Amino acid sequence: MMTTNFYPQQYAQTNTYRINHNYLAEQFADYDMILTKIAQVIRRGDFTLGEAVNRLEQDFAQFNGGQFGIGVGSGTDALFLSLKALDIGAGDEVITTPFTFFATIGAIVTAGAKPVFVDIAADHNIDVSKIEAAITPKTKAMMPVHWAGVPCDMSPINTLAKVHGLAIIADACHAIGASYQQKRIAHWADISCFSMHPLKNLNVWGDGGLIVTNNPDIREQLTLMRNHGLVNREQCKMWAYNSRLDTIQAVVAQHLLDNKMSHINQQRLANAVWLDKALCEIPQITLPPRAANQQNVYHLYMARFEHRDDLQRFLQHKNIDAKIHYPIPMHLQPAALHLGHKTGDYPQAEMLAKSCLSLPIHEFVTGEELEYMVHCIREFYDS
Amino acid sequence: MKVPFVHLGAQFHTLEKQLVQAFVQVGCSGEYIQGDTVKEFELALAHLCQCSQVVSVANGTDALILALKVLNIGVGDEVITAPNSFIASAGAIAAVGASIRFADVGQDYNLDIQQVHHAITEHTKAIIAVHLTGNPVDMDALTKLTRDRGIYIIEDASQAIDAAYKGRQVGSLGDLACFSLHPLKNLGLLGDAGFIATNNVELAQRLRCLRNHGLISRDEAIEWGVNSRLDAIQAAFGCIKIKYLKQWTARFQNIAGYFHNNLNDFVLCPLSRADDKPVYHNFVVQVHQREALRHQLLDAGVETKVHYPIPLHLMPAARDLPYALGSFPVTEQQSKHIMSLPIYPELSDSKVEYIVEQVLKKIKKLKVPRIQ
Repeated sequence: MMTTNFYPQQYAQTNTYRINHNYLAEQFADYDMILTKIAQVIRRGDFTLGEAVNRLEQDFAQFNGGQFGIGVGSGTDALFLSLKALDIGAGDEVITTPFTFFATIGAIVTAGAKPVFVDIAADHNIDVSKIEAAITPKTKAMMPVHWAGVPCDMSPINTLAKVHGLAIIADACHAIGASYQQKRIAHWADISCFSMHPLKNLNVWGDGGLIVTNNPDIREQLTLMRNHGLVNREQCKMWAYNSRLDTIQAVVAQHLLDNKMSHINQQRLANAVWLDKALCEIPQITLPPRAANQQNVYHLYMARFEHRDDLQRFLQHKNIDAKIHYPIPMHLQPAALHLGHKTGDYPQAEMLAKSCLSLPIHEFVTGEELEYMVHCIREFYDS
Repeated sequence: MKVPFVHLGAQFHTLEKQLVQAFVQVGCSGEYIQGDTVKEFELALAHLCQCSQVVSVANGTDALILALKVLNIGVGDEVITAPNSFIASAGAIAAVGASIRFADVGQDYNLDIQQVHHAITEHTKAIIAVHLTGNPVDMDALTKLTRDRGIYIIEDASQAIDAAYKGRQVGSLGDLACFSLHPLKNLGLLGDAGFIATNNVELAQRLRCLRNHGLISRDEAIEWGVNSRLDAIQAAFGCIKIKYLKQWTARFQNIAGYFHNNLNDFVLCPLSRADDKPVYHNFVVQVHQREALRHQLLDAGVETKVHYPIPLHLMPAARDLPYALGSFPVTEQQSKHIMSLPIYPELSDSKVEYIVEQVLKKIKKLKVPRIQ
């Protein structure tokens, strides 16, 4: 009956592979500290919103270079509500890339607007040189995706926004703590949308999202929209939605932000630097360029690999959970039929979908395990 | 004596050991999204609702929005609901782009089927039947009205888990039924949560897809969806709490019975059909001089609330709807007199008696005549 509930396979459990993408058990090994904090909140009867959410919103916004944070149900809801807050809907177009997660496009379509794709560049992010050609009188916003934790080239995107009067809603779901030109990522967009899904760099024990903005009007609008449009218990200013960050999840996020966030991103960076050095010598692998003016937070360590499918099987056989994020670009999804795209429309995205592979990069991957991964990759290409 | 309107901490205290154990179990498993715990809870809910299918979602509002979406209701369509409900019943209709239409309620606070009849047009696609306070709508009469018109019935059972209509569990009475498991509900979790119940396998399959980005596998989306999933950790709490629900429902009914026996001669108590099983998510009475009475009760330590003081058609959000003051006289009249008394399973007998004692005392003091 429940054929579409395929999650256990997607989040393959610890021990399925020795070197895993899922590291949640390790990350929450100190759960007793979190539980103590959660119990305090629950005894107060605080289950939705409240003090713990307020505090996280402030600290999270500041950490990402913004003034205001709004906790919501998920990263998807963050994107959807941001579009709604800017009154983007039927008849409007939003520019984004086809190399992203389903939620980016789902949010645009759910809001009633049309996703307009622009191909990606070598860094796997939107190709800024191709955006201008996609702008029409109907374009209302650009939704650059900081894919894998790599900041998009935000300076030219901001110039385009100014020239054409467009809003920037950044899909920063992968990019907690990233920075561009020495400024944290939320500085560079009108609204930045973050996810705290269990597999993100900063994660909670379920679904959760956070929106960061510097605009007080947008903040007010979003605060209303996530909570039924209520201005107080009794008055509803506008018909809206229910998308709140659970208080207990805010406690989990706060614990990680206060105690682990810097270490998580630093360790991911250190792992990536080590892998870059080892893998750049293998001719069958194409690493994305690493721009000097950016701080990539390596939500994923993704590169292009020749004979990708065989390599993935080989690595999995060697107990390494190499994953594909993702094999089918958005414009070629069955869901995108109504948009009328075809193979060849976005060649860079299509090529990446065929060749990309992500290696485990999280903070619990050891130096020995990194060496083992590189050893196995060499073994594969040598044979 | 202090009687707060809600006391969520009390229930947590009773179950703390089990709930903390669930926390640790799910926490250490690393399986936070969907998975076996969510399935197990969905099966328990399906059993409770006497339905073959349950699709858990992020909250009760999302349940309504997804129910409308899965029935392909949107721009150009009209959906009828009650103007005395919580905002979400109407908000969900607006969220899918359909037009909100209201029909006035009867003395039982639920949709007046005659009024629903008047509100039906060629554009009407569905009725959201709100079982307000956990008292079932007259579903036979409603079904008779909609059956030959191709109009769907969506039960808004957000306040009505475990209620029954003529021996049939709420949730199995329309095309789809939407429930909230918000912390304040009779079955409340430790954060936002909700679910949809149905006997329609195809609708359930599509809902499972819609709530999870439209995905049919890890890599393929068959339609653009949303993200509205019940956290595994909340499902784990649900698996524990649902075992106590029958016992809690009995306590709600027990307290309601006591209120009714002792108060109905002095204040108007809720009406229900003899063959129904309401679950009294709220115990709503009607009184004259409500605000004075509430004030005096609060002075005596008894906290009351009003569900809800402003009817939906008079909200600022409804400014563009074709309604004004006077459009729904029964709802408007009730909104001036309704008052909810504290009612929850953890309320002790002595507190229940104290509430009754204080209500009677203040009524006499203020010389408030009974509403007929």
